[in-house]
Amino acid sequence: MTWLQLLADELGARGVTGRERRRIVFELQDHIACEPGCEERLGDPRELAASFADELASAGARRCAFEVFGALAFAALALAVSQLATGWTGGYPGFNHGHSLALFVPAALGMFVASQAALVAGALAALRALRRRRASTLPAAEIALIRRRAWVGLLGGVATMVGLELYVVDFSSVMPAWWLALVGGLAAAAGATLLVAASRLVRAGAIVTRTPGSAGHVFDDLPAMRWRWLRGGPWRLGAGASLSVALAMTLFEWHAEHSLSEGVQRGVFEGLAAAAGFALLGRSIGVARKPVDARRGSPAEE
Amino acid sequence: MRADTVNGQLDPLILATVAQEPAHGYAIVQRLKQRSGGAFELAEGTVYPALHRLERDGLLASSWSVESGRRRRVYRLTRAGRSTLRERRRDWTHFAKAVEAVLG
Repeated sequence: MTWLQLLADELGARGVTGRERRRIVFELQDHIACEPGCEERLGDPRELAASFADELASAGARRCAFEVFGALAFAALALAVSQLATGWTGGYPGFNHGHSLALFVPAALGMFVASQAALVAGALAALRALRRRRASTLPAAEIALIRRRAWVGLLGGVATMVGLELYVVDFSSVMPAWWLALVGGLAAAAGATLLVAASRLVRAGAIVTRTPGSAGHVFDDLPAMRWRWLRGGPWRLGAGASLSVALAMTLFEWHAEHSLSEGVQRGVFEGLAAAAGFALLGRSIGVARKPVDARRGSPAEE
Repeated sequence: MRADTVNGQLDPLILATVAQEPAHGYAIVQRLKQRSGGAFELAEGTVYPALHRLERDGLLASSWSVESGRRRRVYRLTRAGRSTLRERRRDWTHFAKAVEAVLG
């Protein structure tokens, strides 16, 4: 078996396939043709294939995190425009003016709950990718964490856009045609962008990397939150985040509706939703883990 | 110079090499050797994964071109690559000055 055949096989075993593998083999073939007999200086093909896999997986995870964040930003724009446009039509028609509660409830959950999970997970994925943009290789556990955050963000974004489409269907008989076309069209376009990002994330996930090391902790991504109390246990971060959301939404709704009781109701709902989101998704996006004290031991592997 | 020392600085070295003029993989390896006076003990193959990664990170762009009847992948610096190179040059200068100040 020649050096190039061995390299091609090892790349395939690491999940580097198709056009990417053909291009790598072609470039190395050209290198050998420039200087016949230089294979030894190129290095061991197994190690070279492993380097390709490790570096491509690291760069691929970073790139996907940014692409997912970009697609989520578009989805956020669609959601914001839908709310503004609703204001231009004279305001929210009220859930009892829609077709059915069976449409309204999943629509509201998608638009107001899934969107928050998408924002948190997508932002954390992009933040980690940005923070580690200079690293040539990332530990396999960290790549897995970035991919999981990107997936949670993506699925949350898709659920938000599905919710927005259900909202359009629910109010199709009371809202003007221009509103239905604008909001429905934007949600469909944002949904399609999210699906494109999902397909790229699937492809990037095929590469196998085995670089040892820790996935790091959410406090590495958010150094401003390095308060001693928060680092004491994962539930403290969840409780702190949920209380902050509840307080912010209470104040926002109180101001918007000029009613303290409505503000408190909204705040309690949003706070509980944030706590449920933390409990359900906290581990997968790497926020519900106790940071390990470096003096007592190395950080836990994911 | 040891391979691990060079590997830690491989990205700016590659970016600086390509900044001069676009080049294919073999030419980049040769330029690295020539410019360093053969100081880097580098497995030549390690340059290729770095080229592919830098392209994915948007710091390099590449396209096929035909040179002396041979089809080759030629790399060139992107705008983001140029700005990263400036940043890495600045960092390296600060680092080298600090080390020099300590070593005397």
